Amino acid sequence: MLRVEQLEKRYDRKRADAFAVRDVSFAVAEGEFFTLLGPSGCGKTTTLRSVAGLEMPDAGEIAIGGTTVFSSARGIVVPVARRDIAMVFQSYAIWPHMTVAENVRFPLEATGVKGEEATRRVARALEMVGLAAFRDRPAPLLSGGQQQRVALARAVVKQAKILLLDEPLSNLDARLREQMRVELRDLQRRVGTTAIYVTHDQEEAMALSDRVAVMRNGVVVELAAPRDLYLRPRTVFAARFVGQADLFACAVLERQEGVTWLETPLGPLASLGQVPQAGPLSLLIRPEHVEFVAADAQGANLLDGQIRRVIFSGRLVEYAVELAGGAVLRVQGTSGTLRGEGEGVRLHLPPERCVVVQGSPEDGE
Amino acid sequence: MQGPQASARQAALLRAAPSLLLGALLVYLVAVPLFFLGLSSLRPTGFPFDPGWTFDNFRAVYGAPGFARLIGDTLVFAGGAIGMALVLGTLLAWLVERTDLPGAGLVRALVILPMATPPLLMAIGWAMLLSPRSGALNVWAQAWFGLGAPPFNAYSMGAMIFVQGLALTSTAFLFLAPAFRNMDPSLEEAALASGASTAMLFRRVLIPLLRPAVLAAGIFLLIVGFVVFEIPGTLGMPARIFVLSSQLFYLANEAPGSMPLYGQVGALASLFLLLLLGLGVLYRHFTREAARFRTVTGKGFRPRRMTLGAWRWPALGLVGGYFLFAVIMPVGMLLWMSLMPYQARPSWANLALVTLENHRDFLDSPRVLEAMGNTLLVAALSACAVAVLATLISWTTVRLKAPGSAVLDALAFLPIAIPGVMMGVALIYVYLTLDPIIAIYGTVWILVVAYTTDYLSFGTRAAGGVMVQLHPELEEAGRTSGGSGLLVLRRITLPLLAPAIAAIWIWVLAHAMRELSTALMLQGRDNQVVTTLLWDYWQGGEPTRAAAVGVWLVVALLLALIVWQVLSRRRERLP
Repeated sequence: MLRVEQLEKRYDRKRADAFAVRDVSFAVAEGEFFTLLGPSGCGKTTTLRSVAGLEMPDAGEIAIGGTTVFSSARGIVVPVARRDIAMVFQSYAIWPHMTVAENVRFPLEATGVKGEEATRRVARALEMVGLAAFRDRPAPLLSGGQQQRVALARAVVKQAKILLLDEPLSNLDARLREQMRVELRDLQRRVGTTAIYVTHDQEEAMALSDRVAVMRNGVVVELAAPRDLYLRPRTVFAARFVGQADLFACAVLERQEGVTWLETPLGPLASLGQVPQAGPLSLLIRPEHVEFVAADAQGANLLDGQIRRVIFSGRLVEYAVELAGGAVLRVQGTSGTLRGEGEGVRLHLPPERCVVVQGSPEDGE
Repeated sequence: MQGPQASARQAALLRAAPSLLLGALLVYLVAVPLFFLGLSSLRPTGFPFDPGWTFDNFRAVYGAPGFARLIGDTLVFAGGAIGMALVLGTLLAWLVERTDLPGAGLVRALVILPMATPPLLMAIGWAMLLSPRSGALNVWAQAWFGLGAPPFNAYSMGAMIFVQGLALTSTAFLFLAPAFRNMDPSLEEAALASGASTAMLFRRVLIPLLRPAVLAAGIFLLIVGFVVFEIPGTLGMPARIFVLSSQLFYLANEAPGSMPLYGQVGALASLFLLLLLGLGVLYRHFTREAARFRTVTGKGFRPRRMTLGAWRWPALGLVGGYFLFAVIMPVGMLLWMSLMPYQARPSWANLALVTLENHRDFLDSPRVLEAMGNTLLVAALSACAVAVLATLISWTTVRLKAPGSAVLDALAFLPIAIPGVMMGVALIYVYLTLDPIIAIYGTVWILVVAYTTDYLSFGTRAAGGVMVQLHPELEEAGRTSGGSGLLVLRRITLPLLAPAIAAIWIWVLAHAMRELSTALMLQGRDNQVVTTLLWDYWQGGEPTRAAAVGVWLVVALLLALIVWQVLSRRRERLP
């Protein structure tokens, strides 16, 4: 449905290294929810705006539903208005001089849909976002959440092939954001449209997407389904960006039958799964994957240590455990069993959750 | 590979097209007249395309025995007036915005009153009050205190500074009130919480924060102080006190030998222009500084207000005194005079003389009707032209960020530093030269051109300010909705800008209606306007008829400015 190839955009033509986006390529299937995730300035919004046509890339190719809308090699630039897209903006961009219904009707007016048909589609779009009762309300008299819904209705009413969303939830408060997240996903499924979503919030990206592209410094670092990205990232940057992570420099000791033995500051550890071939390597351990085991437990990947600090946050409890060798490991427990500072504990690191990623532990901090 | 390259070149040309077109227009409106002015200063005859080159004009102007005095008087006048305006304006702004002054809201609304009183009328009103022979205040003072000589003299440097200072106070207030209003109180609270004393709060936080705004206002006022002609023309020229602007007028109009000394005008104007351009550059620098310090967060915060206590009464007295001197006394005097058959001072006995004859005269005379028609036509057309041009220019510089935006911006800003008299003379050159092609000399159209150029800097800055506030995503949402550029412009951008554009329109309308110096310079047989008529009556010894014209002008201006205020308020409510 969407194909982006070798996209490149410089923000300063005179400097060779001034890339906003460099060599970005990806393809999105029909009906897919695809997210560009990354810190501010990573090029995610520039990529999205290039797809919309609001930004003119310096090189590359973009095709929407089989139609090339941009190609630097062939000199094709389709103007925004003629691209089969709809977009939701970070500021919502609700036109203050129009009512709710007039806002939603505008895309139909612009694309030549008139009369009965237009009225029906506006009503349906407003119903979908739960604003049917607000149709004649002037736009400035809406709350933030309602404006967000109007923006959504205005985007879906166009029935475009692709829905582009630029951090649409970032201006809402935490509670509303979670609620809208669910609604957004439902809406996208119901309409069946392909969605390209931009966010810097990894939880949002995980919860919404079929696939996530992690970007950094204008480059796509990793592209995978949320579960793979979280459990088996390939780089230190992505590992750290999508969740809490403890990273330790490590080296491969030996490989046998799928198990890789690693030398780490925590001692030798077993890891299951793929290990990158070259470069500096790091061991990724997520606090919620570490298990407390009985003091007399036996087997591989067991570590002894002492609890140095306890942070109680209600549902979850985070412990900082100082290991025998002096390294500190974060461990997440629940409030079901509470442990005190100074307590000695034995920890188990499941080998399938000991993931080896590329890069040194300091990367992406 | 020729295709993409050619289209890239086309695209570049297309991107540059708006700046090229607008740039050409601005060069024609702004740069060409100034060039003609410079050229004429180097010609023996004073006409830009006559043969020969000379420096005689410069020698005549700068070598004249009175030149040092001219510069001295100009500096004393401008410095004195802006000093007074800044002190009064800052005090008023502070009282209204940051203290618990009773009726602060009313004061804020009433500030348009002084704006509706053109400086010319203020000067005439005060001349009637303070004239040594028949000024009402002088007569009263002599009667009540038994003084032998009249204590006041309207035709003196002191009176010029006093009246000009009053006239500029409302401008200073309008500049400074937002700076006081928009200062985030948490900045002060942070200083107090850090243990700062009140003196330290003022010295280390408030004054540094306000300095760019006050300096910007000061420099703007200084430019205006150098440019204004009305008050030095009315109160200074009869006493032969000349400042740069009135000297220009004198050289171009009434110089000995009856021939206008256009070459000398050009020579003097070039000094003027350099000085004002320097100030213009400074002004832009300080407004940028001020914008950097602006701390509007969008949250509606209430600034901390100081409790005045017993100081309330002196404060109220100051505010009341300002309105009394700036509006009530001069306009009241005009109103009284407009009802008198001859220049009779206000008294119970003279009440018996009241007549509507001047007003009837005013409304009957075909000459007056023609002048009124011209004023309205010129003002409305210039307002339209400025509104359209300012919108297009700020659209190009702010939104399209087209190549050459900085040049466009600078060209559009330039006219602020061109005095009305100078603009008038420059346009005389241009349209006398171009007369065979563009025959607008002596018609209302030359005034339209002059005012459009004059007020372009205000219009462009105002439109640009609103354009910056307009979130670009509002327009982008229109384009991603499938709207063409034209549809987005028509249905989204223009409706959103409409209140701001209308406010610019009215502002220009009001200012074009009250403008005198350019109109005087360009006065011909067919383009008399209300202000030049008023000037003619005043200079021709018909003060009561002048007063009647003035009263009606104030009424018209007041109406226009009320509409302007309402529109500006509406614009502020937009997100």
